[in-house]
Amino acid sequence: MAYSTYYLQYAIGMFADYPPEVKVAVSVTVMCLILMAIMGFALILLSRKEKKLRKIRMNFEEKFGKGMDFMLSAEAQKLMSTQEIAAVFGIAKENIGKDILKNRREKEIFVQMFYLRFITERSDSANRNNITALLYLFGIPEYLEKEVSLRSMKRKVDAMGKIRTFKLPVSPWVINKLLNSKYLTVQRLAMYSNIMLSSDSDLDYFETDFFDKHCCIKDEIELAYSLQRRRRAGLKLPNLARWANIQKNERSQCMFVRLMRRFDELEYCDQLTELFKTQHRKKKLIEEISRTWGYLHYTDSEDLLIDALLAEPDDTKVAIMHALTRFATGKSLHALLEGFTNTTNPHVRFEALRCMYNYGEAGRAQFDELERNAEEGDRKFFDFFKNDITLEKIGLDKEQAYHPSVETVYNG
Amino acid sequence: MWITIYYIFCYLVFGYTMLLMASYMYLVIMSSRAQRNLGINIPDDETIKYFMQGSPLTPAVSIIAPAFNEEVTILDNVNSLMKIDYPNYEIIIVNDASTDHTMELLINEYKLVEVPYDIAMKVQSKPIKRVLKSTEEKYSKLVVVDKEHGGKKADGSNAGINVCSNKYFVCTDVDCIIEPMALYRMMWIVLNSHRPVIGVSATMLMSNGCIVEDGRVVEAAVPNTLVPMFQQLEYLRSFLISKLGWSSINALPNISGGFGLFDTDVAVKSGGYDPTSMAEDVDMLLRMVTYMKNTGQDFRLGQVPKVCCWTEGPGTVKTLCRQRMRWARGLFEIISNHRKLFFNPHYGPIGAFTLPYIFIFEFIAPVLEMTGFLFMIWLVLTGGVNWDSAIILFGMIYIFSIFMSFFVLYFDYSAKAVEWQNTKISYLKLLLVTFLEPFIYHPIITYCSNVGYWRFISNQTAVWKPIQRKGVKKKKS
Repeated sequence: MAYSTYYLQYAIGMFADYPPEVKVAVSVTVMCLILMAIMGFALILLSRKEKKLRKIRMNFEEKFGKGMDFMLSAEAQKLMSTQEIAAVFGIAKENIGKDILKNRREKEIFVQMFYLRFITERSDSANRNNITALLYLFGIPEYLEKEVSLRSMKRKVDAMGKIRTFKLPVSPWVINKLLNSKYLTVQRLAMYSNIMLSSDSDLDYFETDFFDKHCCIKDEIELAYSLQRRRRAGLKLPNLARWANIQKNERSQCMFVRLMRRFDELEYCDQLTELFKTQHRKKKLIEEISRTWGYLHYTDSEDLLIDALLAEPDDTKVAIMHALTRFATGKSLHALLEGFTNTTNPHVRFEALRCMYNYGEAGRAQFDELERNAEEGDRKFFDFFKNDITLEKIGLDKEQAYHPSVETVYNG
Repeated sequence: MWITIYYIFCYLVFGYTMLLMASYMYLVIMSSRAQRNLGINIPDDETIKYFMQGSPLTPAVSIIAPAFNEEVTILDNVNSLMKIDYPNYEIIIVNDASTDHTMELLINEYKLVEVPYDIAMKVQSKPIKRVLKSTEEKYSKLVVVDKEHGGKKADGSNAGINVCSNKYFVCTDVDCIIEPMALYRMMWIVLNSHRPVIGVSATMLMSNGCIVEDGRVVEAAVPNTLVPMFQQLEYLRSFLISKLGWSSINALPNISGGFGLFDTDVAVKSGGYDPTSMAEDVDMLLRMVTYMKNTGQDFRLGQVPKVCCWTEGPGTVKTLCRQRMRWARGLFEIISNHRKLFFNPHYGPIGAFTLPYIFIFEFIAPVLEMTGFLFMIWLVLTGGVNWDSAIILFGMIYIFSIFMSFFVLYFDYSAKAVEWQNTKISYLKLLLVTFLEPFIYHPIITYCSNVGYWRFISNQTAVWKPIQRKGVKKKKS
C-alpha cells in the first residue's frame, strides 16, 4: 500500500509543474490504459469460459446427441415410459429421479442443445408427452422455473421462451410473479403464456388500454400464437372485438381486428360497427375492419361499406372494395364503378378493376365493357389481369384471384 | 499579438480534441447499452427463424439490386440472392441498359419472359423498357427490370422501387454477398419496435480475404493486405460503435447503400433516391426523416449489430483514395443540401445531435488536422515546439485511438458480431492494424477528404468509376 501511494505521489509530482492540458492528457491516457487492461482481462475470462462450455457441449453431444435426435424423430412417436426414455439416453434405472445433470451450467447447455434441435427440425410430429417426460427426467422444468425467478431479464426471457416452446406446465406463482415484473417484455411474455396455458375463460388483460403506444408486430405474432394454441387445446377464445373497442391506440385496435379475421370470429363482427362509424380519422382501422368484414363474410355491413366507399379517402377505398367483392351480392357493383371513375389515383383504379373482374358474371361484364371503351393509357391495366405470371407476382393464382388469402391481406 | 493567436489556436484545438474524445466515449457507452438491450431482445438466429418462419404476419420484403455490365458475376450474384433464407421476399434485378451480355445471360438462365406490368412511376427514374419474370416456378421470386441507361445506382434503385410491391425493400449491390439470415435479423428489429420502423442498417464488412462457396461466405477472414485490413477495422468501428450508438437514441445518420432496409411508402413519399447526389443513401434517409418529422409521425431507425453483408472494398491506395474523395464530396453536398436540419431540434436527435456531430467532428476534422499538421511543421522549423508536452499530447491521442479499436474488437468478440474462421489470427491481424492505423491509414483518409472538399468547392465534375474488383476467393471443391 505504502509503495503504491509512493509511486502515485511520485507520478503526480512528475507532472506538477506541467500545464493543465498535459495533466488532462496524462489522466486520459492512464484511463484508456486501465480500461484496455480490464477489457483484455475480460477477454481472457470470456474465452476461457467459452472453451469450457464448448468442452461440455462436445461431451454432451457425444453422450446425449443421438438420444435427442431419436426423441424428435418419427420413431419416437409412440408414448414412452420414463424408463424407456432413460434407456435411450443410457441412464441406469437407479439414477432415475436423481440429478443427472450436476449444475446449472450443464442444465443450461442440455436445454439449449435440445431446444435448438427442436426448433430447427420444427418437430411438430414428435410426441409432446415424451418430450415433457424427457425434460422432467433431466430436471429441466425446475431449472427453468428457477431461471424465470432470477433477477436477470435476459435469463427470464430465455427461460420463458423455452417454457412456451416446450409447452411445459408452469406453476401459477411463476406466472403471477412475472405478470408483476417491472419489465414490460417479461410482463407480456407471462401474459401470452397465460393466455396459452390458462383454462380460465375470463382473461381480462386487455380490459384496460393495455398497450397504450407500446404495441409491436411481435406482440401480435405472440398473441396469435397463444390464441391458436388455446384454440387447439379446445379452450374458448376471448372476445377480441371487445378488446379492440377498449384499446385507444390505433395500432393495437388494428391488431385485435386482424386477430378476429385470423380466428374467424364472425360472431363478434357486429361489435365493430360502432368503431367503424366513429373512428373515421383512423384510416388503418377502417381498412382492417373492412378487410375483416369482407373476409368473414359479414354481409350485414354491406350498406355501411357502400356508404363508406363513396365517402372515404382513396387510401381506405381499396380495402372496402375488396370486402364488397367478397360479398358479391350485386348491390355494390355501382359503387365499384364509381370507385373506378371518381378517382385519378392509378392504384385505386387498378384495384377497382381487379374487384370488378372477380365480382362474378355481372362484374366481369362491366369489366369487359370498360375494356372495350378503354383509352390507350388504361389498356395495360386490363392486360395485367390476363397474365398468369403477373397474377402470381401479386401473390394470387388464377383460381384464388380476388379472394385473397389472409396472408395476402396481412401483407398488404 | 501573434502569440495570443497562437495560444488561442492551441487551446481551441485542444478543446476540440477533448470534445471529440468525449463524444467517442459517449458512443462507446451508448453502443454498449444498445448491445446489452439488443442482447435481451434479439435471440439467436434459430429462435428468430422459428418465430418468424411460421407466421403469416412476417412482413414481405423486396430486394432491389441494380446491375450494369455485370456479365462476369451476375448469375453467381443472383443465385446468391436466391439462397437468402426468408419466407416472403422478391428479388428485383434492375438492368441499367448494360452493354455487355448481362441481360441475355439472365434471360437464358432463368427462362425470363416479358410480362405486362402495372408500373406507377412513384419516384423519378429513367423509363422502364420492360419487366421480365421467369416461367419456372423455382425462380418465381425473381423480377428483372430492363430500363434505359441512367448511369447511377440511384436511378436503378428508383426503378426497382417503382416495381416493388412490398411494404419494405432492401437496397443492395449485385456483387454484395448477403448472409442467409440477414433479412431475419433486420426484420426482427421491425417486428420488435413499438414505433413504425422506416429504416434498418445492417453491419457490412469487407469480403476481401473471405472464402466464398456457392454464393455464401463460408470462412470469414480478415484480409491479408494492409489497405483492406485497415478498412475492415474502420467498418467494424463504424457499424458497431458509431451507428449502433446513434441508433440507440434513434439518431442513425446513415443507412448504407450496400445493404439497408427501408419502408417503401415513406421512401416513395420522400422522393426516393436522388440520382444527382454523390451520397444518395444519406440524402434519402435525411429526406425520409424530414418527411416523418414534418408530417408529425413518430418513427424508428435501427441497426443490426451482427454482420449481414459482405462487400469487396478497394484493394489499393489509389482506388481507396478515389472512393474517399467521392465520400468527402458527398458529405459536403449533404451538409449544404440539408443545412436546415443541422442544430435543429425539430428534427429530433438527428437534427439536434447527430448532424451537428457530423458537421463538427467529421466534416471539419480533416481540415483542422491538415491545418494542425502544417502548423506543426512551421513550429518545428521555427523551434517553437515544447517537445515534452507535444509527446504527451500525441501519446494521449495515439493511446485513445488504440483504445477505440481495442474496444471494438472486444465488442465484436463478446457480441459475436462476426463468426471469424480463425479467431486468434483474425484478432491478431486487427490488433496489428490498430497500432499502425494512426500513422498510415488516417493521414491518407485526411488527405483524400481535403482533396474531395477542394474538388467540390472548385466545382470539378465528379466522375464515378466503379472499383476494380478482384473477386472473392472461392472454396476449392
